[in-house]
Amino acid sequence: MNVVVCVKQIPDPATPGELDASTKTLRRSGSIILDDSDAYGVEMGLQLADKAGGGEVILVSMAPNNENKGLRTALAMGAAKALLISDEALAGSDALSTAKVLAKAIERADADLILTATESTDGYTGTIPAQVAELLGLPMVTFAKHIEVDGDRVKVQRQTEAGYDEVESPLPAVVSVTAGVVEPRYPSFKGIMAAKGKPVDELKVADLGLDAGQVGWAGARQEIADVSAAEERKAGEIVEDEGDGAERIVAFLEQLKVI
Amino acid sequence: MEFSESAEHQMLRRAVGDLTAKYGHEYFLERARSGGKTTELWNELGRNGFLGVGLPEEYGGGGGGISELAVVCEEVAAQGCPLLLILVSAAICAEVITRFGNEDQKRAWLPGLARGDKMVFAITEPDAGSNSHKVATTATRDGDVYRLRGTKTYISGVDEADRMLVVTRTGVDEITGHAQLSLFVVDTDAPRLERTLIPTEITAPERQFQLFFEDVEVPADRLVGEEGAGLRQVFFGLNPERITGACISTGIGRYALAKAAAYARERSVWGVPIGTHQGVSHPLATAKIELELARLMTTKAAWLHDHDADRNVAGEAANMAKYAAAEAGLHCLDAAIQTHGGNGMASEYGLADLWGLARLLRIAPVSREMVLNFVAQQTLGLPKSY
Ligand SMILES: Cc1cc2nc3c(=O)[nH]c(=O)nc-3n(C[C@H](O)[C@H](O)[C@H](O)COP(=O)(O)OP(=O)(O)OC[C@H]3O[C@@H](n4cnc5c(N)ncnc54)[C@H](O)[C@@H]3O)c2cc1C
Ligand SMILES: Cc1cc2nc3c(=O)[nH]c(=O)nc-3n(C[C@H](O)[C@H](O)[C@H](O)COP(=O)(O)OP(=O)(O)OC[C@H]3O[C@@H](n4cnc5c(N)ncnc54)[C@H](O)[C@@H]3O)c2cc1C
Repeated sequence: MNVVVCVKQIPDPATPGELDASTKTLRRSGSIILDDSDAYGVEMGLQLADKAGGGEVILVSMAPNNENKGLRTALAMGAAKALLISDEALAGSDALSTAKVLAKAIERADADLILTATESTDGYTGTIPAQVAELLGLPMVTFAKHIEVDGDRVKVQRQTEAGYDEVESPLPAVVSVTAGVVEPRYPSFKGIMAAKGKPVDELKVADLGLDAGQVGWAGARQEIADVSAAEERKAGEIVEDEGDGAERIVAFLEQLKVI
Repeated sequence: MEFSESAEHQMLRRAVGDLTAKYGHEYFLERARSGGKTTELWNELGRNGFLGVGLPEEYGGGGGGISELAVVCEEVAAQGCPLLLILVSAAICAEVITRFGNEDQKRAWLPGLARGDKMVFAITEPDAGSNSHKVATTATRDGDVYRLRGTKTYISGVDEADRMLVVTRTGVDEITGHAQLSLFVVDTDAPRLERTLIPTEITAPERQFQLFFEDVEVPADRLVGEEGAGLRQVFFGLNPERITGACISTGIGRYALAKAAAYARERSVWGVPIGTHQGVSHPLATAKIELELARLMTTKAAWLHDHDADRNVAGEAANMAKYAAAEAGLHCLDAAIQTHGGNGMASEYGLADLWGLARLLRIAPVSREMVLNFVAQQTLGLPKSY
């Protein structure tokens, strides 16, 4: 069974992010890493391929400047190979353009199952997975907290606010996973060394049969109108206990309508 | 020449850092204070192959070298969990057995070491610390066994390890009068091996012991390498020990400076962050420069060791790295404590508790003075007083 995992490579959240004032988008220079959210999909893919007794995990990523550090991490975890789409023409791509690119790349991989995270750590629109599924004409299951493959069907426990739903879908399908789905492994040193020799195919927009006008700034239907700082958290209120501490806390909670 | 860190080392660093960050300094401290061990962290590092990165693949290791072990050792410490036993188990013992063990010994011990089994190292004696020529613990051949008699002191981790590599005397050089040394792998629960705890003021999970070998029988096949060639063999293990020792210091330095910089950006006493006062920022910047210089020398020493450079060349670099790193680590920690004002002494801020360990690294595994002697005599060709 071949599993495609979409992995986003993002600026290291540990280093302070920076916005480009003119385009109002995140500066994607500096240290780039595998989005932590995608480590779950990679691990799930590896475990499913392993259980199926054959097949491999193929990574698909769109990133500027042929960035492949994050891919190397996922390859070091055990993925077999990667498709990397990187093209000047992709600058300014909105979520839908990104989905078009990813969908075209996925078509080349002959996948039984496509995994994504629920949302990325930096953009977190959470729209890509469904867009990719729609463009590929495949069924989509979201918020997977447990995945099992049984023949040509996938069984998913789908996280809900109250608990979880049990959902089944024919394969191939797109499944977006939550952070609860599996515990990702750390790349071992052997895995890290092996990743050096694994293939990363670099593709351009034209290789995918897409027109440059459909993607990037040219194709974007989404525009960032304004960026403003998040409101600072207000200082908490300190209640001095003068014998009425408990009552005042109850009154406060009532005012919030939580009790 | 290549000075930027390879993608592989960066990835290794991140993996080890992420793994250790799940535990963090609070975990380390809780274990150290309660007399517990950092077993979960150690085992997880072992399971993922990080303690065995430097061992050959054919014995279950990662196929890397001391350069990779140095990355692991520093990264673990930089997350607030300095693990002293990496120095003895993964560095000295693994190195000596890999280089000098016979095939049976390698098959018996290296795969375990690669997974994270612990082997500790016993050379120091009450009257032989800086001066290894005076090792007085004897090993005497008696049929199929050697009989070990003597006392070792300050041996770390004997309570956590199944085995230890013991340096003994098997003869005397007729010309120099120096001990001829031999190395044995001894079970820590061997009959007639007694131990007593040496209380120290170091806040760390490892404990030190005085060991009494009262006619301990060791099978002859536990002799590692050549009888009488122990000193030369141990020297091969001492470079990795010095390099990983340096990494504990630089890891502590990184940990302390990261905390100090974060604090100095936030804490405001006169209406501006204290980091704007040069009295605060310059000591941190100075410490950072010392730290990076020490890291550079440590990386160089590891590279020289791995590339089988002349042992004296690698040894010189390892000694210099060990010296510079111990000093830099202490200076970083000191500057970080000062930056925190009174909070620098508070348990909550997780700095002052590392003082004992950072200070230890100026004394052990080799003291600052013995490094200076080495450089004075070996590098500068100055005469000896002893
Ligand atoms: C104005 C603007 C400018 C942009 N400029 C660029 C640019 O110059 N270069 C560029 O590469 N991108 C660019 N992007 C695209 C952007 O970085 C995201 O890839 C895209 O918008 C997806 O949004 P998201 O992160 O919210 O995805 P979400 O829907 O939150 O992501 C869900 C999951 O989908 C998968 N996924 C999402 N994005 C990718 C990806 N890129 N590769 C592989 N898997 C993915 C991951 O599994 C992810 O966890 C731009 C976006 C905008 C809005
Ligand atoms: C916490 C801890 C853990 C340890 N773990 C281990 C372990 O696991 N295994 C092990 O074998 N040992 C271990 N040791 C022992 C350690 O390696 C020794 O303490 C160290 O090598 C110094 O030896 P010493 O204590 O005998 O000092 P001494 O040799 O007595 O030296 C005393 C002082 O004199 C100085 N000095 C000595 N000779 C000279 C000279 N020629 N010129 C100038 N100055 C000189 C020394 O630098 C030192 O400052 C540990 C020690 C400690 C404290």
